Amino acid sequence: MTSAAEVLLVDDNPADSDLTCEVLTGGREQLQVRMVSDGVEAFAYLHHLGKYSGAALPDLILLDLNLPRRDGRAVLADIKQNASLRKIPVVVFTTSQAAQDIARSYELGANSYVTKPGNLRDFVSAVKSLEEFWLRFATLPVEENHD
Amino acid sequence: MSTKGTEADKESLRVLLVEDNPADVELIRLELQRDGFQVQSDVAEDYAQLEEKLGGADYDLVLADYNLPGCRGMEALELIQRKALQTPVILVTGALGDVTAVECIKRGASDYVLKDHLARLRVAVGRALQETRLQTQKREAEKQLADKVEELARSNRELEQFAYVASHDLQEPLRMVANYTQLLADRYQEKLDANAEKYIRYAVDGAVRMQTLIQDLLAYSRVGRRGLHLKTVDANLAVDEALQNLRTAIEESQAVVSHDRLPCIVADNSQLVQLFQNLIGNAIKFCGPEPPAVTISARNTADHWIFSVLDNGIGIAPEHAETIFVIFQRLHTHAEYPGNGIGLAICKKIVEQHGGKIWVESELGKGSTFHFILPITKPGTERRTT
Repeated sequence: MTSAAEVLLVDDNPADSDLTCEVLTGGREQLQVRMVSDGVEAFAYLHHLGKYSGAALPDLILLDLNLPRRDGRAVLADIKQNASLRKIPVVVFTTSQAAQDIARSYELGANSYVTKPGNLRDFVSAVKSLEEFWLRFATLPVEENHD
Repeated sequence: MSTKGTEADKESLRVLLVEDNPADVELIRLELQRDGFQVQSDVAEDYAQLEEKLGGADYDLVLADYNLPGCRGMEALELIQRKALQTPVILVTGALGDVTAVECIKRGASDYVLKDHLARLRVAVGRALQETRLQTQKREAEKQLADKVEELARSNRELEQFAYVASHDLQEPLRMVANYTQLLADRYQEKLDANAEKYIRYAVDGAVRMQTLIQDLLAYSRVGRRGLHLKTVDANLAVDEALQNLRTAIEESQAVVSHDRLPCIVADNSQLVQLFQNLIGNAIKFCGPEPPAVTISARNTADHWIFSVLDNGIGIAPEHAETIFVIFQRLHTHAEYPGNGIGLAICKKIVEQHGGKIWVESELGKGSTFHFILPITKPGTERRTT
């Protein structure tokens, strides 16, 4: 990937999204992290609505499940039912360990499900390995208008 | 249902008389009044009228002649059963063969009274009304039971919801505390004095312990919530799985865990694994100066398997043999042995859910043996309870 990779963080807890952002950008200079704090904002971002009219589609989405206004599950369903968004990998990154959340997320088409680790070391290492896997080792679909 | 009438002692009775002979109608009415009932009666003289009357009102009782113009008694009986299932029917009729009488009772008639023995009507009516009252009570009791079951199911759903809230909403703020105190320590290491580092360590430690506590509480509540998925399980494999889960603790402590050939039993596999895991884990955790040595064995009586987990650890004073199975009961400080007193409570819950019993034999300093018995269930009784 030659252009700067973009990650969209959808999380209502600034403590988590700041830390995630810090870990992500700390590792790569050529990485753009966009943060939105609820499901409605995420929807607007991905559909270029309002202030997001110029926003590029992200290469990876880290999505929390329990979000204000529009639930993370609904956001996930939107993405995976939309032909132009479906190919973007979505990692559900949440506190929940509930079996029904895990099952539901995969049913809706999540590309993986990661429970936020409870301690700093594991949290940092989880975010780093997500970045490494999805943005370094995994081959992602190339956007047609980039060709 | 009958209720007390305006006349002090008289029980009011709404009765439908299915009778085409006006003289018989009068006789039956008189007999009922003589028996102490305040009678309100309707009369149906044929099948069509019977159908119409049953559609229009609630009766305490139907008194029906077996022989009606245009229909046989059995048809009338079927109609009454269909339209007014709860209402008792007594046949008041001329001579009725034994076979027909038995057939009528089979089809749901409460009784039959011969017209030339009308004096028996009182007993028959009393019994039929009493029977109906009992059935109504039974139905009400069943309804109450069904309501209770529904209430229980609702409270279980609420508990599940609570467990979900606990797993998510309580853990998130805890993670914030743990992560950011740790981040403080990492980033500002040079700027902090020894005290500050100690305080941060305490804060992180507290948050981490709280996280473990929530996890364990969830595990405890899950044992009851998910129900038992009973099937034939090889206890050897359950122990192997438990050992696999404990491999870090085993390596670190250089524990030696051995087991005899264990039986196949009917149990919930994941609960059995958890049971062995908690018991073996404790045997390793509460060890003395020697590396832990744990032996698992099983023997059977006619109807039970008795499993034993024996260790060479620090042992338990006899006066604590019961309390260790109570949730949150601990015998040591966190500094001595970390933990939150849920492991053995989970063991007890698992064993009791399987219809068994768990106890410990031990002396301080002389190791412990945890025994649990599980009933031997015949193969083929695999079932799932919730």
